[in-house]
Amino acid sequence: MSGPIPRPGPVPGPGPVPRLGPVPPWGSGPALGFGIGWRPEIDLTVERLPGIDFVEAIAENLVPRRLPESLRALRARGTAVVPHGVSLSLGGAERPDPARLAHLAACAQALGSPLVSEHIAFTRAGGLDAGHLLPLPRTTDALAVLAENVRIAQDQLPVPLALENIAPLFAWPADELTEGQFLYELAVRTGVLLLVDVANLHTAHVNLGTDPLEVLDALPLERLGYVHVAGGVERGGVWHDTHTHPVPEPVLSVLAELAARTAVPGVLLERDGDYPPDTELVTELEAVRRTVQEARHVR
Amino acid sequence: MSDDPRAALAAAQYDLVAALVAGAKPPDGFDVARVRVQARALVDKRARHAAAHHPWLAEALAGDYRGVFAAYAGVNPLPPGGGHADAAAFVAYLRGRGELPPGPAPEARGRLIRLLRRRRH
Repeated sequence: MSGPIPRPGPVPGPGPVPRLGPVPPWGSGPALGFGIGWRPEIDLTVERLPGIDFVEAIAENLVPRRLPESLRALRARGTAVVPHGVSLSLGGAERPDPARLAHLAACAQALGSPLVSEHIAFTRAGGLDAGHLLPLPRTTDALAVLAENVRIAQDQLPVPLALENIAPLFAWPADELTEGQFLYELAVRTGVLLLVDVANLHTAHVNLGTDPLEVLDALPLERLGYVHVAGGVERGGVWHDTHTHPVPEPVLSVLAELAARTAVPGVLLERDGDYPPDTELVTELEAVRRTVQEARHVR
Repeated sequence: MSDDPRAALAAAQYDLVAALVAGAKPPDGFDVARVRVQARALVDKRARHAAAHHPWLAEALAGDYRGVFAAYAGVNPLPPGGGHADAAAFVAYLRGRGELPPGPAPEARGRLIRLLRRRRH
């Protein structure tokens, strides 16, 4: 690998140049360890897997007053549960829906969560719901709207918020900032933690030609909340972040690069279907653990 | 910065989502082929969620399931209420057209019962 790439400089192009100042001295996020996405279909598997320090549960599928027995069992033995929202649409033009925010907050409270997470994306516009995390235009205007929405969310949440880079199939035509610059600016302006999905960085690499290492080098690593790892598949030159395929080597390579740059507070494996035998999940988790531990910074 | 960044963003995002879920023309400058790939992926995702809610229906329609669902999704954007509401609307759509297959087969019911009987030890 070449030498360190400097922080992104002023951005040429239309609109005012974003300020790229030093990162304010917020504390880092909580230590989480190694985890897996809890899903009802694999609840017993998740409970049985060795060495699981934390899990994520999709917030929209939870009823805070009637938590699944499996999540209560995990909590009882000290496994942290992070509510992971998928429909706040924080990058949308509208301010975040108070009811969805209240639900996310209630999930965090009911689960005693150390933090909650969501996405840098929008999911709906003007009454049309895509039902999916869509990429934002990386413009100063969209960044300003997103940052204001994030601050509104932070005000309503009882715990820190971590935001995830999504898996893009396409990009907006008039991006003014690189992905790294956008993430850096968002974290610096709002103090939000970053949930770095290394599989999604790989997705952006295959689909848009984004260099994952350039993104990693631009990130304010002090704001790293935790990391997602997942599998996907290439079809017709397009990487699909399916979460139903094994984690491929290039995704683990990006994880290794990240873990070599900073102490990673947590890494979580996402699997959302075509569930393999438990032994395969154990093997995948071992590969994730080994990758982090063999990198320079080991916790 | 625009005078009203929210209004400008709202318009741009609406045009994109309309192209993805309502058959509108992709806004200028987008990679049209990729927008199509995303649009197809959105229908696939809805089809998978609906199948998860009604496995018997996916089983009954078998190889036709994806095509029948796509025909439904083409004229029925994702309703408020997400996957559950979408699955229910798909069933209503098929019933309305007289194309709803007979209910869950006995073996599918058996699988459901076994699933519900799973106990933690």
